[in-house]
Amino acid sequence: MREAIAGKLVGTRVRRVEDRRLLTGQGCYVDDVQVPNMAHAAFVRSPHAHARIRSIDVAAARRHPGVVAVITGADIEAITNPFIGMFSVAGLYDPRFYSLARERVRHVGDPVAIVVAESRRVAEDASDLVEVDYEELQAVATSGQALADGAPAIWEKAPDNLLLTHSHTYGDVDAVFADADRVITQRFRQHRVSNQPMETRGIVVEVDAATGTTTVHAATQSAHSLKWALALMSDRQTVRTSVKELLAHRDRPARFVAGVKAMLAANPEMKQGGNPMMGVIAKQMRRDPRRLVDMQRAMVGLLAKDRADRPEVLARDIGGAFGTKASVSREEMAVYAAARHIGRSVKWIEDRNEHLMVGGHARDEMIDISVALRNDGVILGMRAALTLDGGAYPSFPFGATMFAQIMRVMIPGPYRIPVLRFDTTVVATNKATYVAYRGPWAVETWVRERMLDVIAREMRISRADIRLRNIVGPDELPTPMVTGPMLDVRVSAKATLERALDVADFDAWPAAQIEARNAGRILGLGVATFIEAAPGPPGFTEALVPGMGSMAGGEPAHVVLEADGMVSVITQQVPHGQGHETTLAQVAADELGVPIAAVRVIYGDTTVTPFSVVGTGGSRSAALAGGVVTFGARALRDEVLDIAADLLEASRDDLVVEDGNIHVVGTPARGIGFAAVAAEARRRGSTAPGTEAIRITQEYDGGEGGWTQATHVCWVEIDLETGQVTIPRYVVVEDCGEIINPAIVDGQIRGGVAQGVGAVLYEKIDYDASGQFQTGTFMDYLIPTAVEIPDIEIHHVETPSDIPANYRGVGEGGMILAPAALTNAIEDALAHLGVRITEQHLPPTRILELAGVIPR
Amino acid sequence: MTTSHLADRASDEPDVDLQPLRFTVNGTLETLEVESRRTLAEVLREELGLTGTHLGCEHGVCGACTVIVDGDAARACLLLAVQVEGASIETIESLADGDDLHPIQEAMREHHGFQCAFCAPGFLMTLKALLDVEPAPTRDQLREELSGNLCRCTGYASILDGACAAVRAIQAGTNNA
Repeated sequence: MREAIAGKLVGTRVRRVEDRRLLTGQGCYVDDVQVPNMAHAAFVRSPHAHARIRSIDVAAARRHPGVVAVITGADIEAITNPFIGMFSVAGLYDPRFYSLARERVRHVGDPVAIVVAESRRVAEDASDLVEVDYEELQAVATSGQALADGAPAIWEKAPDNLLLTHSHTYGDVDAVFADADRVITQRFRQHRVSNQPMETRGIVVEVDAATGTTTVHAATQSAHSLKWALALMSDRQTVRTSVKELLAHRDRPARFVAGVKAMLAANPEMKQGGNPMMGVIAKQMRRDPRRLVDMQRAMVGLLAKDRADRPEVLARDIGGAFGTKASVSREEMAVYAAARHIGRSVKWIEDRNEHLMVGGHARDEMIDISVALRNDGVILGMRAALTLDGGAYPSFPFGATMFAQIMRVMIPGPYRIPVLRFDTTVVATNKATYVAYRGPWAVETWVRERMLDVIAREMRISRADIRLRNIVGPDELPTPMVTGPMLDVRVSAKATLERALDVADFDAWPAAQIEARNAGRILGLGVATFIEAAPGPPGFTEALVPGMGSMAGGEPAHVVLEADGMVSVITQQVPHGQGHETTLAQVAADELGVPIAAVRVIYGDTTVTPFSVVGTGGSRSAALAGGVVTFGARALRDEVLDIAADLLEASRDDLVVEDGNIHVVGTPARGIGFAAVAAEARRRGSTAPGTEAIRITQEYDGGEGGWTQATHVCWVEIDLETGQVTIPRYVVVEDCGEIINPAIVDGQIRGGVAQGVGAVLYEKIDYDASGQFQTGTFMDYLIPTAVEIPDIEIHHVETPSDIPANYRGVGEGGMILAPAALTNAIEDALAHLGVRITEQHLPPTRILELAGVIPR
Repeated sequence: MTTSHLADRASDEPDVDLQPLRFTVNGTLETLEVESRRTLAEVLREELGLTGTHLGCEHGVCGACTVIVDGDAARACLLLAVQVEGASIETIESLADGDDLHPIQEAMREHHGFQCAFCAPGFLMTLKALLDVEPAPTRDQLREELSGNLCRCTGYASILDGACAAVRAIQAGTNNA
């Protein structure tokens, strides 16, 4: 059995630890949680895109048999604090809002009341009995409408519907453009899509009536972030009351303050880090003084809270997320507040219609791009102006604002862009919240790679040559991007491009294409290359937002030798399909020399996992969690060997560990196991808690960090009778450093490509011109099936390095790059008809329109 | 959860229309009273505690809730529980034999078939129903037959790899028997 060969797990297709549970129906997803005396919630939602609420009548709903409570926006404002954006950059207006709307609804599906009843079906019945009297307002359905003169303001403090405007200039852009041989300009539109994990959102707030403590069973990507957000925003009370409580219970804040001090001691850069943000925060408070009041009330309230008044979060199996469960949602907050208010456990499971309508939308951007060029195709500079349709309510704690920063920093990709100007505009519209979706900044890659093809065609240069002339090669490394981050010596984007061109036999393509066309077949081939900060070089986050880099802190983990000789890896990661129970166990088992079965990965439980607000996302876990577990396990091995040396009366340097057996080289029969070491550690008076023998607490700042890169090549065949696009071949060439588990890496790549194919050919979140939502079922929002997704051929490139834990993330790349490769292929197929692809959603009717088969 | 608990709950509800229901689930005869509007999926999950059957869309598209009803794959979200009176139901919980995984499960495990695995029970029961009547489908047939089940994580290749391996394993087992 492969898994038993200790020391050789990393790099092999170890079978997943999770699967015995998940393949037998024994997983525990949030809807599987049943707690005693549990009530069920349903939301009353706005049918209008934009309306004033004249009145709400809940009497009939309250009278309905089986209804426990009906809570409205007015109730929520009395018992909770508003959502307060924590993220600050210049030019940002962060709206202030609550989990339920009170005076105004701002998109279809905006929650206005929550009904709690004895069952989900009774809650849904009663939600129909809530009478809301709306006065419809003019709605804003697109960023164009939002920015038009006389457009209605969605937020009163942002009369022009601008939530973020700023501009960054790197170098003398105007001079470069004035002197350029050519300037090529194009507008690209990215449509709105949605993550749509197979499990919708959900939460079970378990209130222990006897003790008053609350456990939140959640489907979340960040357990600690959810815990502290709920604690901060719940149980609203005046500052005066909080201060009184603090005076009466001076011990309460002590633990909290001690925790903050410990964190600052571990991350001294945090103290300076916050500073650049302070000025921006102060500016925001001047614009909306209620922010100061809100913040003070929430923070002092949090300090005054008894430990029992803060929830603990428990996340077990999660049915996918792709970013959307990184947000703390208004619904989660409302359900939590309702359960606390009525003193009873409440479950809420979102249905698919709600999840499509309000469970998280993504993308929806427009970029105007100009590229200054020399006649030989060398890029001299770039101007890009982003307009991002953020919907009405910003995602909490981060969303469009942050992703726009990543778009700016990443738009040069692996290419030499000597000067850059990037203008950012985030607009409020009457649409649902814009959330993270697998490479939330992906539009930078799509637009750049599309633009390179446009340039190649305009300048009559091959699409390979335009890339090869501008991409950063190994001889230039290390070199900083124009936006700041360093491309280190392991950046191999050019190697992936060259290998992909070779695999694709790119030089032979034009002839093959013409030959096929002469035989009546319309074929196309597209190439695209990218890099992803996974997790990025040191200082990467500082390039995004000055002051933010230091605030996230390092990646923590506990690596524990248990009394029985087993090893526990306790992580802040919250896996939701990535297989961390397997990969982190592989890493720890190899470092320690034990079989994978001796390692247990513990996650999702805020009572035991180390604090971090980051959770799982951003293709960070291989590098950061892989790294911290490497070093934590190494430290544990040192301690284990110290004790084993005493027990074996041998020199430490003579010891080896094989398959959990610690022995002097050459005498495995006289070895001891980890259980014997654990017993000795406990006999010596271990300070580790509970049944533990040795506990290592490790932090890792990401070390050298680094980049993942890839080139995708996509072949398409287009049927001009039906408009159908098929993908006969798809090639991925990627470098994510050392691979922990090839089956998991390949699975992440294929899954990402499938989502990219879906976004281009099938999926679109649609609103009509009045802001009415159009895609409320899986018959409207088309998720690709096994028939639509091509076989994907994956080639790995690994750049040799002696950096320890040289793992880099691979979760998002497939989804970031696939739309670029696919749309480039479609344009290539239709180029002879004069088609230029400037939008990303290309269903059959649009293909036929573009090809001139049917009128536009 | 038991039927008596259901009765307690129903007493608070308006005009509850309870119907007797007798059916066989994973070989055990179950006798319940259920509200006629409740789906088979709800009754399996909430009354019988068989939470392996997952609800992905509740409108018959995603296939996560697929169970086997009298030998045929069926969407438990679209069937009212009262429609399966007298029927024999198989759910994901019946697939393994104690600690021994079914060859389909073993093959999926070997090939990293799933990631978040929320959709897995539906795929596995669809495949079980298929292989019970068509033991030697090709990869293309499997692709077509499994196209009624949505997976958002994998891009399907690993599921097809697992399905093909399951076909081979079952055939090898049959040949050896």
